[in-house]
Amino acid sequence: MTTYADTLQRTWRENILFSALVELTYRCNLNCFFCYNDPQLRGVPLTTEQYVHFFEDLRELGTLNLTFSGGEPLARADFFNLGRQARELGFVVRVKSNGHALNGRLARRLREEVDPFMVEVSLHGARAETHDRQTRVSGSFDKLLTNLGEMRALGLRVKLNSPLTAWNEAEVEAMFALADGWGLPIQLDPQITPRDDGDPGPLSVAPSRAGVARLLELQRERAEARQTEKEPRSADATAEVAGSKHCGAGSATVTVDPFGNVYPCVQWRRRVGNLHEQSIQAIWRQSQELAEVRRLAAEVKQTVGQHGPLGFGFCPGLAEQETGDPAGLYPATQRLLELRRQDVVPSDGL
Amino acid sequence: MIATDMILKRCVDTRYRNIGGEGVVVRQTAGEVLVLNEIGVRVLELLEATMPVSGLLDALDAEYEIDRPTLERDVLAYLQELVDAGVIEHAAV
Repeated sequence: MTTYADTLQRTWRENILFSALVELTYRCNLNCFFCYNDPQLRGVPLTTEQYVHFFEDLRELGTLNLTFSGGEPLARADFFNLGRQARELGFVVRVKSNGHALNGRLARRLREEVDPFMVEVSLHGARAETHDRQTRVSGSFDKLLTNLGEMRALGLRVKLNSPLTAWNEAEVEAMFALADGWGLPIQLDPQITPRDDGDPGPLSVAPSRAGVARLLELQRERAEARQTEKEPRSADATAEVAGSKHCGAGSATVTVDPFGNVYPCVQWRRRVGNLHEQSIQAIWRQSQELAEVRRLAAEVKQTVGQHGPLGFGFCPGLAEQETGDPAGLYPATQRLLELRRQDVVPSDGL
Repeated sequence: MIATDMILKRCVDTRYRNIGGEGVVVRQTAGEVLVLNEIGVRVLELLEATMPVSGLLDALDAEYEIDRPTLERDVLAYLQELVDAGVIEHAAV
């Protein structure tokens, strides 16, 4: 019997574009200190019609997952129109939002018009002082809590995403407790990345070694508890995928910025085409840059594998950005290896 | 119990793609994913057109070299499995 993991592996192996992430705009109503978007990037934004053609092409290619991101995706004026089109074309739609504008009225429109599989909302701390410090917008924590309550009441499926920083690492247990109290899944990411233009500024709030170790310990405890409960496979499950490539970047995924530039994934910012110049179908089938990324994904698997299984803890995109080499060990993964040697991280990866 | 005069359709809360001959079905409300084989893919494709189960059986009968009673028994059982799994449901006519 074929499993979902088998199918995902097949998308990597056979270059089936399964998931696309679309950054609709870099405008945002928050001002997070560590945001990775390149604020200087310029270009001609894609029109509504271009997006619809892009979605139709994706459907032709067999793409199932379509994620709207930003910036804040709801800041784009035609967001609901695009969301409706995506729904009608049968995508599993995810929306990555800071949640600041998703009050009752907009949350209801999102539920009724777009019906996303998941709304991924950013939580930056367990206390208002911490969350607002990171977003640099006073009152954003209280507003988020109000909006989360309304989203849950409407039946929207919500997941919390939290980048771990030096400012919130002391509140990790409290953040897990908040999420558990609301009955929402939460994902804390221990990696703060440079901005997409290479600006290392966000790294100044990277979490401490002790903070990362504590998070990994808690994540391991929670994963073990979930295994005990024998949770059914979720549609987000990807961790069991293994094959000849390190990841699906450029083989099963693409990211598109607001100006039509196409990248292998959200973190691997190597431009492989532009939707103003070519369709995604042409880029997917003909781009020499994309062919090179696929070759590198296999090469990275071999090279990084020499260090033991790093799982999803290693990102070729970040490696290329920070070391110039998609297989180069960058500081966060060096720390991961060090923690594994001390048995803080399980040997089968994160 | 599936009857041959029933009209079935894919459940509204599902999302579906044919990935190289395999069907990936996401049940949004449950947050679950199912992978269907070649027959499941063909069944979902045929159900895109509104037709009674008898029409679906006729179409499959023309495509597969299998005796009709066996085909009907196996397909009706499979359709019931898909109903139970929340992939398809009775269409309101």
